[in-house]
Amino acid sequence: MLDNLATTLADTLEGIPVLSLLIIIPLIGALAAFFLGKNNAKLAKTIALAFSFVALVLSVFVLIAYYGSGNGGFMFSENYVWVEQLGINYNLAIDGLSLPMVFLSTLLVFLAILFSWDVSEKTRTYMSLMLLLEVGVIGVFTSLDYFLFYIFWEIVLIPMFFLISIWGGPNKSYASIKFLIYTHVASLVMLLGIFALYFTAAGELGYYTFDMAQIASVSGALEMGMKTLIFAALFFGFIVKMPMVPFHTWLPDAHVQAPTAGSVLLAGILLKMGAYGIIRICLPIFPVDVSYEFFGVVINWQMILAAIGVVSMVYGAFACLAQTDLKKMVAYSSISHMGIVMLGIATLTELGIAAAVFQMFAHGIIAAVLFMVCGMFQHKAGTREIPLLGGLVTKMPIVSVIMMFSFMASLGLPGLAGFVAEFSVFTATYDWLGTNYWYWIIIPLMTVALTAAYYLWAMQRTIFGELTTKIRTDNIRDAHWFEVAPIVVLLLLIVLLGVWPSALMDIITPTLPFLSIPGVI
Amino acid sequence: MFAEYAWLIPIFPLIAFVIVGFLGNKLFKKAEGGAPIAIIMAAISCVLSLLVAYETLTTGEVYKASLEWMVVDGFTFNMGIYIDNLTALMLIVVSFIATLVVIYSVGYMHSEGEKKRRYYAIISLFIGVMLGLVLASNYLQMFIFWELVGLCSYLLIGFWNTKPSAASAAKKAFLVTRIGDIMLMLGLIIFFVGFKGNLDFDYIFNNVDLFTGGDSLLTLGTFLIFGGAIGKSAQFPLHDWLPDAMEGPTTVSALIHAATMVKAGVYLVARSYPVLIETPDTLIIIAAVGGFTALFAATMALNNTNIKRVLAYSTISQLGYMFLALGASGYLFAVSGDPNVGYMAGMSHLMNHAFFKALLFLSAGAVIHAVHTEDMMRMGGLSKKLKITSAVMLLGCISIAGIPPFSGFWSKDEILATVFETGAYNTGFYLLYAFGIIAAFITAFYMFRLWFLTFSGKPRDQEIYDHAHEAPKVMWIPLVILAVLAVGSGLAGILLGMEGTIEPVAYLSTMHIASGIDMIVDMFQHPLTYVSIIVAVLGIAVAYLMYYSKTIDPARISESKVGKKLGNVLLARYGFTAGYDLFGIKVIYGISKAVDWFDRNIIDGVVKLISLICTLVGKLLRFVQNGLVQTYASIVVVGVSLVVILLLAFGGMF
Repeated sequence: MLDNLATTLADTLEGIPVLSLLIIIPLIGALAAFFLGKNNAKLAKTIALAFSFVALVLSVFVLIAYYGSGNGGFMFSENYVWVEQLGINYNLAIDGLSLPMVFLSTLLVFLAILFSWDVSEKTRTYMSLMLLLEVGVIGVFTSLDYFLFYIFWEIVLIPMFFLISIWGGPNKSYASIKFLIYTHVASLVMLLGIFALYFTAAGELGYYTFDMAQIASVSGALEMGMKTLIFAALFFGFIVKMPMVPFHTWLPDAHVQAPTAGSVLLAGILLKMGAYGIIRICLPIFPVDVSYEFFGVVINWQMILAAIGVVSMVYGAFACLAQTDLKKMVAYSSISHMGIVMLGIATLTELGIAAAVFQMFAHGIIAAVLFMVCGMFQHKAGTREIPLLGGLVTKMPIVSVIMMFSFMASLGLPGLAGFVAEFSVFTATYDWLGTNYWYWIIIPLMTVALTAAYYLWAMQRTIFGELTTKIRTDNIRDAHWFEVAPIVVLLLLIVLLGVWPSALMDIITPTLPFLSIPGVI
Repeated sequence: MFAEYAWLIPIFPLIAFVIVGFLGNKLFKKAEGGAPIAIIMAAISCVLSLLVAYETLTTGEVYKASLEWMVVDGFTFNMGIYIDNLTALMLIVVSFIATLVVIYSVGYMHSEGEKKRRYYAIISLFIGVMLGLVLASNYLQMFIFWELVGLCSYLLIGFWNTKPSAASAAKKAFLVTRIGDIMLMLGLIIFFVGFKGNLDFDYIFNNVDLFTGGDSLLTLGTFLIFGGAIGKSAQFPLHDWLPDAMEGPTTVSALIHAATMVKAGVYLVARSYPVLIETPDTLIIIAAVGGFTALFAATMALNNTNIKRVLAYSTISQLGYMFLALGASGYLFAVSGDPNVGYMAGMSHLMNHAFFKALLFLSAGAVIHAVHTEDMMRMGGLSKKLKITSAVMLLGCISIAGIPPFSGFWSKDEILATVFETGAYNTGFYLLYAFGIIAAFITAFYMFRLWFLTFSGKPRDQEIYDHAHEAPKVMWIPLVILAVLAVGSGLAGILLGMEGTIEPVAYLSTMHIASGIDMIVDMFQHPLTYVSIIVAVLGIAVAYLMYYSKTIDPARISESKVGKKLGNVLLARYGFTAGYDLFGIKVIYGISKAVDWFDRNIIDGVVKLISLICTLVGKLLRFVQNGLVQTYASIVVVGVSLVVILLLAFGGMF
């Protein structure tokens, strides 16, 4: 019966431009919330919630439809010529790589809006910015045209910049400008790479196009030196976004200042854009596994990718241990966990890349809860400084249980979503290293203990032990319904993916052969 | 026929967890925080476990069933059920003791108020995942439950979570065992890749020779798997979390930190036997770690005055015996090709120990319940007030000391006999035998020291003594049941034919299975048996002279110069506690501080420097672009002349 439903749904959705709808609905919502909610904050919130809910439902339909009749390749393609002379197309489609990301985006935006139900300052602007962000990220995850991709990529920056700079903490202008300039410079480098790719590929193709698939089809024939520069430019743009050490310092600042919902979307969705770009764009156009000489130096990008991943994992975990701000710790843990994604990609095995995508999704939902927890601490205790807190389990038991749950999920407890990805990435890494170099895996494995250390220590100092006397605790309240509700949804999803990982894995794995990544057997 | 329903065994306690854990306090206010539900569910799964175990032990058939959980790229992750005789033994031990402990908890945790609901929820979760661990059909599934029992242990050690020492102990337990878990994880990955993407017990045990990667890698794999056992079963050098774990309620110490979870490491090693006997080097390490830990941990119990801590050290020491047995038995088989009783002895020691140590902990719990202190120096003379408790605890002490025919005697003696036998092939095992026999002496001594200090003589704290009272029925009935088992399980095991039943498959093919009576006759014809008994009696005698008849004044030893120093070393746990702290705070936290400094000053420093340079250049250029035509004109002149000069100099234009 379920299969029937899925097939019917797929047939129905094939008839309508469903991906465009996914982009347009939040856009209409953003405009509606802004203009209709002028003197009515409640209305603005309701509109935003409604539109994000519609987008969520639509993405669930897409999910079910894909589950029923997807074979790993693209579905729901839309292809319209946009600027013929330049070879720009409005080209959207969805596959097992982008589908989890699209679902993640619609889910997190909806929950983040619900979670910010008590925002009172410039509510309509806040709500429309959230929806505008959704427009950007869904565009990024569904476009198959470099030009379109880049436009959406840049759209994402703007609402996030305003979310930080208007609703941020005391140092918001520094953090938002740093975020904007840092990631924008990276985007420009990426744009340079896109243009270089556009022109060199045209030399092979005989015509100009921004179409990803067509460019990828001739990328094998391009000259290696030029391709190295193109790859490096694109790769730089993506790892700043992820972010990987050493290009990560914008992230802790941005998170510390960002409002909770902003952090949820930043960690939950925006970081995934970088990893998505590497898998979708960098890997198919460049033989990462090949060692070659470049200006007299032997380069193997696979090693570089793996090294970046491992360094980010370990470095991020150590940095976490030293933080005194709960939210900054969680921010660094994002870097460490995205390092796992990078390591999974670097193995260039199906298991590794599938696990990387799984980890992207798992980290998205786990990090969302983590930042919501930080937000609740800020809101209720008035501070996130770990040394000032302590014993809060007696004051806010629900928040404490949520904190414990999310920390356990993030440290990779089996039975929860994080473990499956982590274990698979380690297995893939060991398999890739082979019997001669297997011992290198000990370094990334160390993070398993470090991660547990910083999370457990943080809990010991914030919720356990004697009740703190350093701050006023007499009026600390437990979580509100609108805070608990989105978290419960996420926690259920974390458990579901922990006990039934193939629900997600079976969407991801069939797509891997279609990505035509050189080096992956 | 029962085995088909074995998957239900862990489900019942998990249902209890969900009901008790997620339905509000109000619902369970009158029902002891949900205790009846926890008890009923534990009891149902206990009955089912006993049926399944009975069926398996009598038919001897291995039941296997599994489902595909996730398949990626040739790697198959399965979930299933695997029941053989070893599983059956574990099922009996875990489900039975768990049920008794939950019943006992009704009395012990009675005054905990609203916290009770959390207690019964987590303990139900523990029972469920522990049974899941035992039933697992592959290494990965076992690892998943392995971590989850660790979580329950963490949550229950930190049960009184507003107490800083409890919160700290919980964290320590989780982190120290996680060091072992990392080794285990790597071991599993080595197996996973080496056995071509399959971690099923059934597959691996029948295809050990198909391992790709060579013998040394297989040895490393088994060693790393044992590494997980070191953490979970608190063996040297990852033992120091277990004494701290006594911060949890005594029921938790009895169930998790004595009878079941800490046995998971032993179970893991026993389960991996078909692979282990191919890697004798690992078996030597297992025996050495076990033998050393048996002695090492026992010494720390000598002068401790905290009743629970003494039992904790004793647990570590007894677990050491089990590893010693497994290591020696497998090694003996690997070098001689002859099956021996060591494996069976190790596993029956696991069972016997579970019974007598649960008994000892719960008796200690009854004492603590009566006197509200764990310090033995404030007890004394309590046998008059706690008649039942003191009697059953005495039985437990005799059992662990190894006096025939109490249960501890049989398994411990067979372990030591196997170790001695192995010495013929590897002289190092004679040393391990010596460790074992000295530890046996120490064990008998400290257990009776504990009993005498608690129950005999004059009360050292009259006020405490006056308020002491015997435990309620709901507590002493489980104690009596456990006492019966602590006395009889060893002999019963032999008479019911444990030999030949709880054995590795490799042994069975060439094994001559003696009847129970023959075995007992054999044992008492062996001179070493009398050595064990004499040593145990000596230990008890010394304790008697020092703490009962006071013929020897213990103060004279502890106050002497050497005694004081040694005593302090023991109380400082040979410096391990400080060593762990030093490693954590100085090394790991030190590195993280350095990383943080580097991050803020160097990496972000460079970012800030770049932005500073950009700003400065911008400021400089601002002076240039000042809107005055004269400035622009002069720049043009300078520029053009520069170009001309350069062309003249390098270009050779003219």
